Amino acid sequence: MLDVTDLVTAYGKIEALKGVSLQVEGGKITCLLGPNGAGKTTLMMTIAGVLQPRRGSIRLKGAELAGLSPARIVSQGVALVPENRLVFPHMSVYENLLAGAYQRHDKAGVNADIERMYARFPQLHERSEQMAGTLSGGEQQMLAVARALMSQPRLLLMDEPSLGLAPLIVAEIFNIIAELNRDGTTIFLVEQNAHMALQVAHQFFLMEQGRITFKGTPGQLAEDEVIQRAYLGTRRAAG
Amino acid sequence: MIDLVQNTIDGVMIGSSYGLLALGFTLIFGVMRRLNLSYGPSIMIGGYVGTVLYVQYGAGPLAVAGTMILGAAIAGIYVERLCFAPMRMGAGIASMVSSFAIWMQLEQAAILVLPRHTYPFPPLTTGAPLEWGPFLLRLDHLIMLGCALGLTAAIQFALYRTRFGLALRAIIGNPVAAHLVGINVSVAVMLAFAAASAIGGVAGFLVLSVDQQVTPMFGMWATLKGLIAMMIGGLGSIPGAILGGLLLGVVEAHCQWYFGPQIRDLAAYIVLFVFLLVHPGGLLGRAPGSDIAAPRTP
Ligand SMILES: Nc1ncnc2c1ncn2[C@@H]1O[C@H](COP(=O)(O)OP(=O)(O)O)[C@@H](O)[C@H]1O
Ligand SMILES: [Mg+2]
Repeated sequence: MLDVTDLVTAYGKIEALKGVSLQVEGGKITCLLGPNGAGKTTLMMTIAGVLQPRRGSIRLKGAELAGLSPARIVSQGVALVPENRLVFPHMSVYENLLAGAYQRHDKAGVNADIERMYARFPQLHERSEQMAGTLSGGEQQMLAVARALMSQPRLLLMDEPSLGLAPLIVAEIFNIIAELNRDGTTIFLVEQNAHMALQVAHQFFLMEQGRITFKGTPGQLAEDEVIQRAYLGTRRAAG
Repeated sequence: MIDLVQNTIDGVMIGSSYGLLALGFTLIFGVMRRLNLSYGPSIMIGGYVGTVLYVQYGAGPLAVAGTMILGAAIAGIYVERLCFAPMRMGAGIASMVSSFAIWMQLEQAAILVLPRHTYPFPPLTTGAPLEWGPFLLRLDHLIMLGCALGLTAAIQFALYRTRFGLALRAIIGNPVAAHLVGINVSVAVMLAFAAASAIGGVAGFLVLSVDQQVTPMFGMWATLKGLIAMMIGGLGSIPGAILGGLLLGVVEAHCQWYFGPQIRDLAAYIVLFVFLLVHPGGLLGRAPGSDIAAPRTP
């Protein structure tokens, strides 16, 4: 479904992605693991169009996304749940969901989808008029997911949705991920929590220092090796 | 006592023009977290277009108003494209400094094209002031107050009840997330800039038509009054802008009456100074840190 080929993204002179190639299969959960600073967020932001790549291509079912504006990429059916959630803090939960549907013009459909989000995330329903900035971390994460879903994405990108959340909430988030996937959404997930990620993923990639260093299925590599490389990176782990 | 009330009335009326100036200023600041020092000079350019229309073609006040508002909006877009669009995600100081450079450029351009110091401007009404008991109310002042209140309500409506307003508030809240939900941030910011400068154009037209003249100094005057009123009212607050403007107008009117016109401008700075010292958030600004004017975290 998503084909990333030889992608290079740089901040000034420093290349954070040094030729990344990977594939996300339709209908599956694909996971990207890697230590801090590996370039995972940079990759997500580049796919979403917030960062422009130097080189390489990003194809969604064959159609090129690289070079499109973030708005065009959203309308192509790709939505990102960003690292640190980035809800609109001074807007209500309801308005956050409305903003998530910014590219849509079917008012009735949008309202129906907001009701669906309320049904799936009852905490959001209870707090629909509350400012998003006053929600707990877990609730903000639910809101960030629901906001992304409001654009009716074919491909949902998620950047460390478990970051900074209590274990019980993390489990709930992963339940939601599995559930969304069962309902037909393709998911590309960045995680630090390798243990949880390997439980839901169909396929995973390891990224270290701007490069993909492993591709496989969860059974293929011993979990402790994955964890070691995901947290520490090969080079330091070997030394 | 009558003087006190009459001065307060005059202060409220003049203050409503400061409030209008602050309204445009605060809109730009709220959306961009950037100080646009070229705000006043953009309005002045609108005023110059207006006076040409008036002197050369004998246009009436409404045609002059329309052209001036349009001229200010176009000058505003020019400033935005030049100083703010290229440095959107960082470099707050750089865009402020470059907006200062454009200020000088616009002022020099105005002086080059129309080298005399003052040019006439059409009055809005020439009718006698209304009498209300012992007090006098100028018609053009009442129009000023009406515009200030009407535009405040219109902006509040636009921000909280329209799709464009939702986009602007999303950008204010988190520009990266605004991109991610599919808002065309660059276009929205440019339109907000144009709208803010157009509001400045309304304010500028009302002030110039009371003065019945325009000078190249008008740009600096508008930037200063708008900036002070905005800071008194609370950075980024729409109702605060109007309140700050009214308060500034009233204080100035009283100071002029009791201490003379030299003290008038000094009073504005003293009020600003006192606010910065004891209540830096301004009248309606939230506590620093929770404010929409707080530094953005992308
Ligand atoms: N805005 C930025 N400016 C400069 N360098 C950055 C910026 N964001 C990230 N980087 C650098 O790019 C590399 C990859 O960062 P990031 O994509 O955030 O990694 P990850 O999400 O895997 O932790 C790091 O070395 C980081 O320091
Ligand atoms: Mg990251």
